[in-house]
Amino acid sequence: MRPGPQSDGRHQAAGVEISGVNLSYGANHVLKDVELNIEPGEFFAFLGPSGCGKTTLLRLIAGFNVADSGEVRIAGRDIGKLPPWKRDVGMVFQSYALWPHMSVRRNVAFGLEERRLPRAEIAARVAAVLDLVGLAAFAERKPSQLSGGQQQRVALARTIVTEPKVLLLDEPLSNLDAKMRVQVRGELHDLQRRLGITTIFVTHDQEEANAICDRIAVMSDGVIQQVGAPRDLYARPANLFVANFLGAANILPGIVTTRDGVSVFDIGGGAFLPIPEDAAIPQGASLVFRPQDACMAPAHQGEPGLDARILSHEFLGSIVRYRLRLGGADVLVDTPFHAGSEILSNGSTVAFSLMAKAGVWLEK
Amino acid sequence: MNRFAFGALLGIFAVQAALAQAPTGKVTVVTSFAKDVTDPYKKAFEKAYPGLSLEVQNRNTNAAVKFIEETKSANATDLMWASAPDAFEVLKGKGLLTKYQLKAQGIPEKVGSYPINDPGGFYFGFAASGYGIMWNERYVRANKLPDPQEWSDLSKPIYFDHVAIAAPSRSGTTHLTIETILQGEGWDKGWRTIKQIAGNLRQVTDRSFDVPEQVNSGQVGVGIVIDFFAFSAQAAGFPVKFVYPSVTTVVPANLAIIANPPNRAGAEAFVEFLLSPAGQEVLLEPSIRRLPVNPAIYAKAPADYPNPFKDPRFTKMISFSSEKSEQRTDAVDVLFDQMITFQLAGLKAATKSIQAAEAALDKKDNVQARALIAEARDAVAAMPVSDVQAGSAETRAAFTGAKEKTARQAEIEQRWSAFAKEQYAKAQAKADEALKLTR
Amino acid sequence: MSIAVTSAGVSATRAPVRVGELALGLSIAAFLLVFVAWPAVAVTYVAFTEKGTGAFTLINFQDFARTDLFVRSLWNSIYVGAATVAWASVIALPLAVLTTRFSFRGAIVIQTLGFVPLIMPPFVGAVAMQMLFGRNGTINLLLSDWFDVRIPFMEGLNGVIFVEALHYFPFILINVSASLRNIDRAMEEAAQNLGCSGFRLLRRIVLPLAAPGYMAGASLVFVKVFDDLATPLLLNVKDMLAPQAYLRITSIGIADPMGYVIAVVLVVMSVASMGLAALATRGVDYATVQRGGGGIARRSLRPAESFAAYLVVGFILLLVLAPHIGLLLLSFATVWSFSPLPDALTTAHYVRVFSESGVYIKNTILYASLAGLIDVVVGTAIAWLVLRTKLSFRHWLDWGATAALAFPGVVIGIGYLRAFYDVRLFGGAPLATLWIMIVLAVAVRRLPYALRASHAALLQISRSLEEAAENLGATRQRAVRRIVLPLMTGGILAGFVTSFATAAVELSATLLLVQSNSDAPLAYGVYVFMQSPAGRGAGAALGVVTVIIVCACALLAQFGIERSQNAKGALQ
Repeated sequence: MRPGPQSDGRHQAAGVEISGVNLSYGANHVLKDVELNIEPGEFFAFLGPSGCGKTTLLRLIAGFNVADSGEVRIAGRDIGKLPPWKRDVGMVFQSYALWPHMSVRRNVAFGLEERRLPRAEIAARVAAVLDLVGLAAFAERKPSQLSGGQQQRVALARTIVTEPKVLLLDEPLSNLDAKMRVQVRGELHDLQRRLGITTIFVTHDQEEANAICDRIAVMSDGVIQQVGAPRDLYARPANLFVANFLGAANILPGIVTTRDGVSVFDIGGGAFLPIPEDAAIPQGASLVFRPQDACMAPAHQGEPGLDARILSHEFLGSIVRYRLRLGGADVLVDTPFHAGSEILSNGSTVAFSLMAKAGVWLEK
Repeated sequence: MNRFAFGALLGIFAVQAALAQAPTGKVTVVTSFAKDVTDPYKKAFEKAYPGLSLEVQNRNTNAAVKFIEETKSANATDLMWASAPDAFEVLKGKGLLTKYQLKAQGIPEKVGSYPINDPGGFYFGFAASGYGIMWNERYVRANKLPDPQEWSDLSKPIYFDHVAIAAPSRSGTTHLTIETILQGEGWDKGWRTIKQIAGNLRQVTDRSFDVPEQVNSGQVGVGIVIDFFAFSAQAAGFPVKFVYPSVTTVVPANLAIIANPPNRAGAEAFVEFLLSPAGQEVLLEPSIRRLPVNPAIYAKAPADYPNPFKDPRFTKMISFSSEKSEQRTDAVDVLFDQMITFQLAGLKAATKSIQAAEAALDKKDNVQARALIAEARDAVAAMPVSDVQAGSAETRAAFTGAKEKTARQAEIEQRWSAFAKEQYAKAQAKADEALKLTR
Repeated sequence: MSIAVTSAGVSATRAPVRVGELALGLSIAAFLLVFVAWPAVAVTYVAFTEKGTGAFTLINFQDFARTDLFVRSLWNSIYVGAATVAWASVIALPLAVLTTRFSFRGAIVIQTLGFVPLIMPPFVGAVAMQMLFGRNGTINLLLSDWFDVRIPFMEGLNGVIFVEALHYFPFILINVSASLRNIDRAMEEAAQNLGCSGFRLLRRIVLPLAAPGYMAGASLVFVKVFDDLATPLLLNVKDMLAPQAYLRITSIGIADPMGYVIAVVLVVMSVASMGLAALATRGVDYATVQRGGGGIARRSLRPAESFAAYLVVGFILLLVLAPHIGLLLLSFATVWSFSPLPDALTTAHYVRVFSESGVYIKNTILYASLAGLIDVVVGTAIAWLVLRTKLSFRHWLDWGATAALAFPGVVIGIGYLRAFYDVRLFGGAPLATLWIMIVLAVAVRRLPYALRASHAALLQISRSLEEAAENLGATRQRAVRRIVLPLMTGGILAGFVTSFATAAVELSATLLLVQSNSDAPLAYGVYVFMQSPAGRGAGAALGVVTVIIVCACALLAQFGIERSQNAKGALQ
C-alpha cells in the first residue's frame, strides 16, 4: 500500500527541494543545473516565456519526466526514482485532462478509488470537495456539459481530494477568459491558504504570478534566473531578462562619468542622470527603472529635471503612459490619471526626473 | 470439441472393436462429394451398421490430399472418398493408403475400358460415371445453337465462345477425359482435337462443379461434364440436357482406406458396404444418379438408366493404358494449362481468325488461302514435345520433388507457354492473310 | 492476454524501456512468431531452396522474373489493385462526404449498410453477382432484349475491378468518414473566411485533411485485392498473382516451389504497399492532433439537392448491395437459369438448411467472436506499444501483424497443419486439430483491421488523460484499464466488428483446418451445400443466414459504439 494521505483536513505541508537537476532531449538541454527550495505551505510560481522549461520542471516533479542528473526531494525524501503514481503529488493539467467518459463525481472519486479507500469515505470526501469548489449540483454531469470554469474547478477538486503533499498547477487559467481568470485565481489563492498545501503554479503571465504567489522562480532557457517574492523581483530584478519579463521597464545603456565633480550616468544626447552615492555600478551596465518610478512635469512649471520631449502617449485608464525623448534615448513614464487630469500633447517639452532609489543598474 | 476426450474415446472403441465382432465407433471419411451423395450414404450405412457412425469431412480433392499428407503423423482419417483416380495415385505413391483384400462379390474387372479397382489393391471403384456434353436449353435456343451430339461438334465455329470445361490439372475426371482422347486418337491428333475444341472455350474452370454450375445458370451454353452433374441438375428442374457422345470415357469414383486408420474395422465395413448390393443401390437415388459397378444392380434401375456394361458407347472405347497415363499425368496437365488455360486469349484469337477465313473460303474458294489456313491449323496444333518426351523420365523428374537436381518446372513451363504463344500468333497472322486473299 | 505492465519500483519511471512493456512486447512478438511467422515460413521456405539439394537459392525468384505468365500476372495484379482503389474511391468518397458534411437522413442508412458489402460468404456472393451482371445475367438479358447490347461488366480484368470495387469500398468509406469527423471545424471556417468554398474547399482543405484516413483505407483495399483469389477465379481470370499462387499450391501432385515463390512475392508487395501508404502520410496526420474538433460543419440540403443526394445514394447502394439482392433471390429461387428473374420462388432451401445450420451458426459466432477478441486484444496492445512506449522493436510488431494480412489463407492453412500437427497434447491429439486453431488462423489474417482501428483510436486520446490518472495514484496498468481502454471503446469495437464480420465468412484457411462437421463454421457449410450440382439454392440460403447473423452482430456492436460515443461526449 502506498502511504495514505492524512485525512485530518489539514495537510502536513511538505517542502520541495530540487538540486542540481539537468535534463536534455537529445542535444536540446532543457533544464540546466536547477536548484530550488520551496518552503512547506508556500504558493510558488514558475514564471517564464514558453519554451523556458517551466512545464518540463513541473512534469519532472510529477514524475512524467526523468532528470538526467540531480535530485528532487519532497519533505526530505528523494522521489526521483518513484513512478508518478507513488509520488503523492497532485497535478492540474493545462487541458484539465478530465476523463470524458466519467461523470464529475467519478472523475473526482478516481484518485480515492485508486487508494482503495472505503466506499463511504470516498463518497463523503467527494461530496465535501465538490461543495468546496461549489459544484455539488453538477456531480452527475459529464465534463462536456460544463463550462470552462467549471471544468477547471473539477480538475482542481479531483486533485485536491486526494490531499497530495504538493499541488502542481500547469497554466490552470490559460483556458479561461480574462474576467474568469481574475476570479478563479482569487479562488485558487483562497483555497491554497485554507488548505495550506504547498503549491507550484506554472504560468507565463507575470500579473497572475504576482497576484497570488508567495514566491516566484523566473525561468528562461532552462535556467532559473531569479527567485524571490513578487515585489522584490519587480523592484530589484537580478538581470535584464527578469526586469523586462516582469512588466514594462526602461532600460537605458550608458556610461558612468564625472560631471561637475559628481558621478553621473551618461545616456547620450547630453542627458546625464544622477547616481546614488552608495551605488556601485558595474562597467557597461544599463540603468533600469519602471515607468511609474519616473516623474515628469510641464516645462513651464519650473520643476527641476532634465528636458525631455513627448513623442507619443497611450491612455490606459488609471494611468497615462508617455513616451519621451530623453537625450539619446526613449523613455516611458506613467502618470496617474484622475478625473479632470489633463493629458499633455505630443511634442510638448517636459521636465523629467527619477525618484530616489528607483533605478537599478544591471549588466547586459 | 475436446480432442483429448475424442482420442480417448477412439482408443476405447478400438479395444471394443477388437473384442467384439461387429465394428463400432466413428468412421471418419474425407470426401469431395456433395451432401447430396454423402447424406443418403450416411443414412444407409448407419442403418446397416448400428454400431458405427459416419463422420463426413467435406474438402475438395486437393485439400483432402494435402490434409491427409500433412496429418499423417497422427492420422485421424479412416477413408478417402472421391472421384479423381489421380488423387488416389498420389496418395498411394506417398504410402498413405492401406492395402485391402475386397470381399464383396459380383464386381467385374473393368467398366468400359477402365479397370475398376487399383491393381495393387489400394483403392476401389464403387461407381462409374460417363463423360458427356451438357447444355442449357434456354441458352441454346436464344443463341440459335444446334444441340451438340459429338465431341467433334464442339469444335464447330458456331459454338465459338459457348463451351466450358474444367482444367485437367484441377479436375481428375477431366484429366482422365483428356488422357482418353490422347490415347484414343494418338498424341498429336488428340491434341489437335483438344485444341480445336479449346478454341471455342468460354471458360476453363478450376473446379469440376463450376462447369455444370455455369451451364445451369445459363452463363455458358455448353459444358463438358460428368453425367451425374447433369442428371441431378435435371432432377432439380434446371432446363439442361445431356448426351453421351458416341465415344465416351468411363471414370470410376473411388474409395480407399488411409494408412494407419484409427478405426480399421469400421473403415473396412464402409468399403464392403459401398460395394455390397445394398450400397450399390443407393447410387440409383435421383440426387446421386451414378452408375453402379455391380452389373446386377441395373435390373432395379429405371428404364432409361444408362448401363455402361451394355451400352455400346461405353464399350467402344479403346483400351486404356493406366501405365502410360500415369507416366505423363503432370506433363499433360501442365501442357493443357500452359497452352490452353493460360493462353486462352491467344488461342481464341487464332481460332476466331481461322474460323472467319474458313467461312470466307466457303463462299469464295482460293487455293493459296486454303493452304494458309491449313498452315494456321497446323501451327495451332503444333506441340512443343512429343509423347515420348512428355512421358520421359527427365520430364517427370521436373514435375516431381525429385531428389536429384533436375530441370525446374518453371523453366519447362515457360518454354512450353512461349512456344504456344508464338504458334498462336503465327496461326492468327496466317489466317488473317488467308482472309485477305478471299476478299 | 492482459496489458501486463508491472509497477515494479526499479523501472517505474518513464525511462526508455520498462520491464512491463518489454514483457508485453515480447509476448506479442512471440505470438506473431508462433502463429504467423512460423507457419508461413514452414510453407514458404521451399521458395528459397534449390531443387534436389535443398540448398538456399534465389534461382526460383529468377524463374519468376523469367516466366511471362508470372510477370504478366504481377502487372495485372498491380493494375487491378490500383484501378480497384480508384473505383472504390469513386464509390466511397461521395458517400463519405455526403454522410459527414450534410445533415442528411440517408446518412444513417449509409453508415449501416455501407458495411454490408464486406460481409459476403464465399462462392455464393460471386455466383449471385453473375446472376445479375454476368454475360447472361439479369441486366444483360434485359439489355439485349430491349436494345440488343450487352455490357461486359464481368469480363476479364475490368470485371475483377468492378466486383472488387463493390466488395472492398467500405474500407475507404469507413476510414475517410472517421477522418472527416475528426477535422477541426475551424480549419474549414478559416478557409471559408479566406474566400474558399464549395468544391474548392472540398478539394483544397477537406480532402487533404482526410488524406491519412484515405491512405489507410486505400492501402487496405489494394492489399486485399492483391491477395484475393476468389473473385478472379470466378471470373475466369487466372493471370493474376493470387490465383496463380492458389492454383499451384492446391493442385494435386505438383511439387513445384513456384506457388510459394508467388506467395512470398504477394507478402512482399503487400507489406511494401502498406509501408508506402504509411510513408506517404508520415507527418501529415493532421486530423487527429486538433483539439476540440467536433467534425466539419454539417449543412442542410435544399430540396433539389436533397433529391439529388438521395438519387446518388440510392444508386450506389443498389449497386453495392446487388450481390446481396442476388443472393436473396437465389436463396428463394426454384430454378434461375438464363432468365432475368427466377422461374418461381420457394422456401424449400431454407427448410433444407434449417436443421443443419444450428451447429454452423453456433461455431461461427464462437469462432468469429474469439477471432475478433484476439485481434482487438493483440491489436490494441500493439497500438499502445507503438504510440505510448519507446520499445525498440515496436514497429516490427506493427509490420509483423500487417504482413499477416498478405499471406494467402491457403498458405496459412497449410502452414498451421505443418507447424502444429506434430505438436501433441496430452493423449496424443495433435494441436492442429483443436478448433481453437481455426480461430487463430482466421484471427491472424484480420489482425491489421483491429490494429489500424485501435491505432487511430489511441491517437485521438490525449496523453494527459493518462497522466492525470497516474498522477492521482493509478499505476500505468490501471490508467490503461480505467481511462485508455474505456475511451478507445469505439475504435476497439469498430476493429472488432471488422474482424468479426470478415472472419465469419472466411473459408480458405478454414477449409483445411476443419476436422469434423461439428467443428465447422457457416462458411464451410455454405461450401458444402454449394457443391451440390442440384443448384445453389441451399448454399445461398445458408449464405443469407450468414449475412443476416453477421449483420445483426455488427449492428449490435455499432449500437455499442454509438452509446460509447455519446458517453464520451464532445469534450474530445
